[in-house]
Amino acid sequence: MRMLLQFKKGDIVRHLGLLDLQRTMQRALRRSGLPVAYSKGFNPHIVMSFASALSSGIPGDAELLDVSLCGEVTEEQCLSAMNRVLPPALCASRVRLVDDHFPKVSASLRTAQYRITLKGGETKRIAERLSAFLAEEEIMALRKTKKNETMVNIRPMIHELTAEYDSQTDTAIMIARVSFIEQATLKPDLLLDALCAYAGVQLPKYEIRRTHLLGEVNGQSIPLIDM
Amino acid sequence: MLKEKIDSLLDRVQKPARYMGGEMNAALKDPKSVAIRYAFAFPDVYEVGMSHLGSRILYDIINKHEDALCERVFMPWVDMADLMRKENVPLFTLETRSPVRGFDMLGITLQYEMSYTNILEILDLSGIPLHSEDRTWDDPIVIAGGPCAFNPEPLHHFIDAFSIGDGEISTLETIEVLKQCKAEGVSRQECLRRLSRLRGVYVPSLYEATYHEDGTLKTFEPIEEGVPRTVVKNMIADLDTAEYPESVIVPFMEIVHDRINIEVLRGCTRGCRFCQAGMIYRPVRERSMQRILELAGKLVDGTGYEEITLSSLSTGDYSCLPQLAHELMERFAEKRVSLSLPSLRLDSDLKKTLEETQKVRKSSLTYAMEAGTQRLRDVINKGITEENLTSSVSDAFASGWSSVKLYFMFGLPTETYEDLDGIADLANKVVRKYFETPKHIRAKGLRVNCSASCFVPKAFTPFQWEAQDTIEQFEEKQKHLCRIMHIKGVEFNWHEPQVSFLEAVFARGDRKTADALEAAWKLGCRFDGWTDQFKFDKWMEAFEQTGVDPKFYANRRREKDELLPWSFIDAGVTQSFLWRERERAVSGQPTPDCRKGCQGCGLKRFEGACEGR
Repeated sequence: MRMLLQFKKGDIVRHLGLLDLQRTMQRALRRSGLPVAYSKGFNPHIVMSFASALSSGIPGDAELLDVSLCGEVTEEQCLSAMNRVLPPALCASRVRLVDDHFPKVSASLRTAQYRITLKGGETKRIAERLSAFLAEEEIMALRKTKKNETMVNIRPMIHELTAEYDSQTDTAIMIARVSFIEQATLKPDLLLDALCAYAGVQLPKYEIRRTHLLGEVNGQSIPLIDM
Repeated sequence: MLKEKIDSLLDRVQKPARYMGGEMNAALKDPKSVAIRYAFAFPDVYEVGMSHLGSRILYDIINKHEDALCERVFMPWVDMADLMRKENVPLFTLETRSPVRGFDMLGITLQYEMSYTNILEILDLSGIPLHSEDRTWDDPIVIAGGPCAFNPEPLHHFIDAFSIGDGEISTLETIEVLKQCKAEGVSRQECLRRLSRLRGVYVPSLYEATYHEDGTLKTFEPIEEGVPRTVVKNMIADLDTAEYPESVIVPFMEIVHDRINIEVLRGCTRGCRFCQAGMIYRPVRERSMQRILELAGKLVDGTGYEEITLSSLSTGDYSCLPQLAHELMERFAEKRVSLSLPSLRLDSDLKKTLEETQKVRKSSLTYAMEAGTQRLRDVINKGITEENLTSSVSDAFASGWSSVKLYFMFGLPTETYEDLDGIADLANKVVRKYFETPKHIRAKGLRVNCSASCFVPKAFTPFQWEAQDTIEQFEEKQKHLCRIMHIKGVEFNWHEPQVSFLEAVFARGDRKTADALEAAWKLGCRFDGWTDQFKFDKWMEAFEQTGVDPKFYANRRREKDELLPWSFIDAGVTQSFLWRERERAVSGQPTPDCRKGCQGCGLKRFEGACEGR
């Protein structure tokens, strides 16, 4: 049996990197008393994986951890056990138990949704240029990986993009749902860079939060935990 | 808005997790529910400070107190410290991100002389006046404890009160006094006066020092009635009844000692003459096996750590160690918790235990030989022989270990170049033992890590009167060591003599050294214990500026009758015992472990101190 654990990476712990988060979750699972499965070998560790690594600096509302279990428990037991042992900033919101043959959650991931808050500077201009930006058929942007830099068309990777501008606070709240599959992952920073380049402005102050990890069934996006 | 400001800084620094807080088991008490808010500062970065057991004990004790809370403060790394100054962000605690200055008490732990500039940096970043006399009730009472508090004088100007000895009870006593003073509305001065009447508490502003023309101390007296002439260290008689954390913070980021740490005994009876800890933490007190097992169970359940370490000055001396190790491994095997035993002494009967731990992991074995020849080991009373080492490494190599660490010091009293040659000799013998082990038994890849540090004479040791080697002497010896330590399979490391020289200045410094310390900090010195931050030239400039001669403190031999700046402290061991040990050292006479017969160190003066011995 496997436990799919949906949890929050709260604001105060947003600087945690993947390794820190892995270690923290391993220890929390050990504290939980849940029947977790260990890997074989010299340095046994709990068999678990994240649906997607969330970069250091970005908080997440509904991250997903996939944990192998070796005993019978209920979803309620898992949820309360985990919330007893996780620090408040990493609290769990849902648990779903699936059987061992259930596909890996990372393989079902299609898109991720971000909430991006822009403030001050040229925020207004960016909000205004958004619909023209989306009307383009091709938006080329420079994608940097560890190995190389390539120009790619990011337009097909943008599934949803909206902005709501509030003139009182000079703030725009953007919702962006972008591709999250191998070979075609669009990072929100790259999207922002491309958008600013298009609007011909400097990037204002911004905050990114990942709100959803989504899979797809019959063309419909649904939360990864419900796949 | 401070919280948001701090938040915005975190995007701009290396390792923001150092300043994040929010870890599992961090205490979150309501500030309104308590009378005393205590900020506990460790004057180094998070990952170092969080590895310190004593701080965790006190954090737990204060937070268990119904009328007090404790929050943590660490020294921000240079990037963060500079940014905080630039953005006007005061030093803050991790738990609630509150300014340190607003707390009632600021406790600072003194683990190492080279963290002293960081203490000034902490005060300054907090906006607390550097000098005790400039503080008001708008500032916390700044109190410091830890091993370096046994020679508090170099910090006399910056610290309001020192707590000397075991802190478990004393910390709560100081909190009670402060609480009472605040309730009565007495002056800060009166509060310090009351603190000075507690056992183990030293309030430097209530004492005056005068000096002879040659710079040595002439008199050291309290300036008013009722202030004790001698400050007697605090001592916990029984570790089992002493508080010990049953749940500890589990950091997000990796820290230096990232595991469960259980103190199995306090103190050491071996009497190594260079070792300050071995003198000031007397007498030896053991925690019962039953209590250790109970703590281990709770800590494993409460932290999820995968490793337990048993710590003390000499864990090999714990009376039922094999039994304890066995029991721990048995109990936690299912939870995949491994056991590591640090600072093992090779003359302990640990073979069986080691054979069990290796089931878990073969880490490297450490041997603190300290000196290269038997003659010099007799001088320093390090009761380990070459035969102990060679037979122990033979056994270890035969059971599959291939990594050995050897620790030495150089610059020890009476040392000659023959003693240095002895270091290479021992390293060679270890290598030979490896190759004598049949190939099919021994593990591949011999690694002998040999390190030599410069000897620093410390207060309250039999060598407190001795001169440290000069930097030039150290460098000569170092060159010689580097030449003779070219041995296949051996890696040789040494420590910079400049750092050890400064350490020696402050380890036996008097009040005058405080000025040099302050000047050095003003010239930009901080994190002196970090090689990449250490600025020796700035330090020399600071001594020059303040007219303090560092050699007077480091490289001068004291006479028997010299009034030592720390002699107003009763550390348990008496000065006459220390002098006797010094005499025996010079004549190369070892002194046996006091469990084999009382050596009259002075602890018996305290009721219950050496019970059962």
